[in-house]
Amino acid sequence: MSGARIVAIMGKDLREFARNRFFVFITLLVLVAYVAIFWFLPDSVDETVHIGVSGTVLNTDVGGVTDGGTAGFALEVYPSEEELRAAVEEGRGDIVAGIAFPPDFLASVAAGEKPTVRLLIPAGLPAEVRLLLQGAVDEVAFSIAGSPPPVDPITEAIVLGTDRAGAQVSMQQQMRPLLLIMVLMVEVFALSSLVAIEVQERTAVAVLATPVRIVDFLAAKGIFGIILAFVEAALLGILIGAFAVNAPAVIVILLLGALIVTGFAMISGSYGKDFMGTLMISMLFMIPLMIPAFAALFPGSTPGWVKIIPTYGLVDAMIRITVDGAGWSDIAPALLMLAGWGLVAFGAGALVLRRRVATL
Amino acid sequence: MSLRRSWYVFGRELKLSPRSPLVFFAIAMPFLITFLISSVFGSLFDVNPKLGIVDEGDSAMTVAAQQLDGVDTTVVADASTLRTRVESHDFDAGLMLPAGFDAAVRAGENPDLQFYVSGESLASTRAIIAVTTIDLVRGVAGDEPPVDVVVTPVGAEDYVPISDRLLPTMVIYAVMIAALFLPAASLVDEREKRTLDAVLVTPTTITDVLVGKGTFAVILATVMGVVTLALNNAFAGQPGTMTLILFIGSMMLMLMGLILGLWAKDITTLYTAIKAGGIVIFLPVLFTLFPGLPQWIPKFVPTYYFLQPIYDIAIRGDTFADVLPEVAIALVICIALVPLVAWVAKRAERELAITV
Repeated sequence: MSGARIVAIMGKDLREFARNRFFVFITLLVLVAYVAIFWFLPDSVDETVHIGVSGTVLNTDVGGVTDGGTAGFALEVYPSEEELRAAVEEGRGDIVAGIAFPPDFLASVAAGEKPTVRLLIPAGLPAEVRLLLQGAVDEVAFSIAGSPPPVDPITEAIVLGTDRAGAQVSMQQQMRPLLLIMVLMVEVFALSSLVAIEVQERTAVAVLATPVRIVDFLAAKGIFGIILAFVEAALLGILIGAFAVNAPAVIVILLLGALIVTGFAMISGSYGKDFMGTLMISMLFMIPLMIPAFAALFPGSTPGWVKIIPTYGLVDAMIRITVDGAGWSDIAPALLMLAGWGLVAFGAGALVLRRRVATL
Repeated sequence: MSLRRSWYVFGRELKLSPRSPLVFFAIAMPFLITFLISSVFGSLFDVNPKLGIVDEGDSAMTVAAQQLDGVDTTVVADASTLRTRVESHDFDAGLMLPAGFDAAVRAGENPDLQFYVSGESLASTRAIIAVTTIDLVRGVAGDEPPVDVVVTPVGAEDYVPISDRLLPTMVIYAVMIAALFLPAASLVDEREKRTLDAVLVTPTTITDVLVGKGTFAVILATVMGVVTLALNNAFAGQPGTMTLILFIGSMMLMLMGLILGLWAKDITTLYTAIKAGGIVIFLPVLFTLFPGLPQWIPKFVPTYYFLQPIYDIAIRGDTFADVLPEVAIALVICIALVPLVAWVAKRAERELAITV
């Protein structure tokens, strides 16, 4: 293997990449779009349901429910039902719905009567918020009537796992690994197209007619692919703050991710017969590779089959670092899996490309 | 034009389709988009709190919880599974109902109720499940609330949930790839490989080729549109009307695809043109997603006239008579595109004749 020959082939590939206005346009577009998307996403989670209330009930402490709300919902007081209705209609102060207690509510309940409370519900209010409103009104009335609940799940709850109340994972944090994976995926297409052109136009044969050996050719393609994918992902990572925690680990993760996508790009580039063929074969790899990042957006445990997808380790390690502030030992299993897949994908890519070039 | 030759071209497209990655993509896309949009976006914006219950004594609470609208309840086998699933946030909260729970509540006792909360659960979700749990326990105890609650709707009554507003997005994806991209890419590919030149030296004319390719694209696009609506349960009891509108929409996009395919010099130009011009085709979808935007703007875009009727029938419950004006405009656009296709085809045929 010759370093000078590898560098020469990489220089040629870089010039070809830069000359192709389509690749440059797509690369820049993806970078700008992803950075814009990221910074438009909410950087915090509003865990509170804001409810408007009118009526005199708020002058009385009824078991913590009406004294300004409790964890999870907040009460905004309005002097009259009309003003409350207007606030709900306009969504003023993030209010999602209103509870209009009648002026004589306290006296009526205390006297054993059954007053009527009006729930002001805008169209499209989630059913679970209705349940909350209905339950809260019932409990206020029970409390005034002197009938405490037989159970108290609010204060006696046992929290399992890391309690993120007040520090939930924001949409920005959730989307960070997805954006990084997507930018790596775009490079699958760019690199596979470069390889495909080399195969289709048989320039690989011309290159191999020189003192360049097949191993130099494969090494150049591999290194160029890794650098191309890594640089773009790293650039995006810098712009979306992916290196804020444990930067060396993030660099290793992105390098291993670049290794995986380069391997798949060499496979799709080898088999693509034309632009559309290469695009479609690349998509066949890109779509499954993106599944772990999409799965991370869902609450709950990841299904077992998602864990065997090569990019799962990348998503898992990125989330552990950026969300939980995990160290090297925490992400070691994910890194090992990522490295294993990287070697398999790159090895398979090099093998397929070698065979394809040999048939030219 | 010869229908027999067009039929041959159609047959060739059909025969080659299993080998075409684009046809595969056109078939896979409705399933993929439906999965992504309805599961990812639908669930992300519209998720119900999830409650797990271990019921050791056939409690009436479990039955009542399963009937709740707004909380998804799952019964699990044992406490260990419940704890594991709450910890991994498969459930927002978990309830352990011991044997004899109902009897104890009815006897006015305060029985043990283990209530687990996932650390990743939102504070608002915790409050909702806690308040709902108290309500369920009150129900078992037979406590009648000392208050009447009346629901008064306020504000706009024509609100449509985000999951429903995404229907046109799914339809346009399903139809566009097969109707627009497929014939355009096929034409460009044939020109690049010069197989079109070879076909045109036979008695087959460019019109025969366009009719054959267009028919294949329209049939595939209509079928994929129907599949998309079926997957999303969006026929609204009018499958015939929906199929007709999808057919007209597919025709419109197919004619645009033929124009693009005849105009583009190579596949990169075509791909870039579709990327750049795609926003115009997709514009009506954005306006459905964000109803607060001025709704007169998408009326300048041809795709509005088949996407809006589909949306109005599926979501708003309109009839064919209600959407007839839009469908008629869509038909007029299709008819207007035919001479344009003919003109571009004539030009392309002249260019091909020169190169041949």
